[in-house]
Amino acid sequence: MTCTKNRKTLASPGFGLGLRPDHYRDFLDEPQPVEWLEIISENFMVPGGKPLAMLDAIRADYPMVMHGVSLSIGSAEPIDMDYLCQLKALAQRVEPLWVSDHLCWTGINAHNSHDLLPLPYDAPTLDCVIDNISRVQDYLGRRILIENPSSYVAFRASDRREWEFLAEMADRADCLLLLDINNIYVSARNHGFHPHDYLVGLPAARIQQIHLAGHSDMGDYVIDTHDADVCDAVWELYADACGLFGPVATMIERDDDIPPLPALLAELDRARAVAARMCEPYYV
Amino acid sequence: MQARFLAGVIGDAADAEALIVDDDQVGARKRLDIYRHNYHASLTGVLTDHFARLFAYLGDEQFGRVARAYVAAHRSTTRNLRDYGHEFASFLGHSFPEDSELAELAALDWALRGAFDAADVALLDAARVGALGDGWIDRPLSLHPSARLLNFSYNSAAIWSALDAGREPPPVAELAGPVRLLVWRRGQQPSFRSLTAEEAAALDGLAAGCSFVDLSARAIEACGEAVAMAVVAEWLGTWLADGILVIAD
Repeated sequence: MTCTKNRKTLASPGFGLGLRPDHYRDFLDEPQPVEWLEIISENFMVPGGKPLAMLDAIRADYPMVMHGVSLSIGSAEPIDMDYLCQLKALAQRVEPLWVSDHLCWTGINAHNSHDLLPLPYDAPTLDCVIDNISRVQDYLGRRILIENPSSYVAFRASDRREWEFLAEMADRADCLLLLDINNIYVSARNHGFHPHDYLVGLPAARIQQIHLAGHSDMGDYVIDTHDADVCDAVWELYADACGLFGPVATMIERDDDIPPLPALLAELDRARAVAARMCEPYYV
Repeated sequence: MQARFLAGVIGDAADAEALIVDDDQVGARKRLDIYRHNYHASLTGVLTDHFARLFAYLGDEQFGRVARAYVAAHRSTTRNLRDYGHEFASFLGHSFPEDSELAELAALDWALRGAFDAADVALLDAARVGALGDGWIDRPLSLHPSARLLNFSYNSAAIWSALDAGREPPPVAELAGPVRLLVWRRGQQPSFRSLTAEEAAALDGLAAGCSFVDLSARAIEACGEAVAMAVVAEWLGTWLADGILVIAD
């Protein structure tokens, strides 16, 4: 059990799911057994129409968290203030429990990759990321969560491990972490580190949320596709994380080949069972 | 560093490989190829979503070829993927001047997509007209933010409707004359219908901010009071029911 005294996080609100249009009707028709929902911020950074109508209707019944993919917190360019302004407006509408994005960059020189591109883990990049997080937190008036990415390349310029970078970033920027267990597994396979080393290197007191997801195993490497069930190895790693960090808000993140809601609720029940078993010492 | 890496992802620049660690397990080129594939797949994928009826018309292979050509010629400059593809219709018009229905189908798909999440504003509907009495008739009007007027020369609207219903589309045919189409959102549902030249001109006037009094005066001048009043009254009933009008001031 890692020391979680001096937690910087809110108490865990329990177990949630990513809200996807395929399931709007399920959430509108009857109460579903989830404690909260995560929205993709950009899907609702639109002028109006059905997306915002659905958002408001479902938000009336469920606490929400906001998860973005376009903040580009590691960009060598200044933070896009138009984007940040829209993000803040959405946060004022949703009143989320928290707001998150990824440790990545998405584009430069006015060109966008629409992908979560990896960063070199070195001192100049760390300074840049910390500076950007501070600006965002000041503007939004709240701590944000930064998610560990999945990656397929390592930069020659890197001089430290990803978890060391995240730990120092979280401490110096005074931000929180969204821990994607599948991303740790994917990157561990792609870069040849041990996922347990990753977990024990993280600051437990700053882990606010956990993502669980599926991936595509290509043999020599693994791609973070979010289009499949959570695999056994990721469940084992989640159990490991629960033992280390105690109760942390956990959700299933599915973005493609989305199954009917009951299938995701069943996966979420498995997460509840793992957490109940592994977190018992924290309740003694 | 980021500009070099992105050039490698978008433009296949081999220079980017020098930035990353090579290895025997996968190799630098193959690792970068994952990001190259992601980039092209996300942009061609969003074109497939945004231009769903054109996709149905062309089929997977032909649409894929056209979409890849567009992506190669149009790097994304938008932060939100919802905005990617705004030049697709004109790209098709330039690339396939002999197949004008392609650009028209794309323009219709794009206008409907835009109508889907256009801004919500207070509509001028029958209830509001009732509440305002004559208090609205000389105020400048405008069209709902979702409304777009398209010019079609081919039977692309009929092709679109057949594809939408899962039917075999009719053969391409040039229309006897250009037709204008109104695209807008009715409630939460994007819709479209064809317009007479007179109704299209009236909507152009409203989009430019003229009032109902101005509109009526123009109609009287064009076709006399008796005919004009009947026509304008019919238009107004339709516009109020469809949710097309807003008070502009």
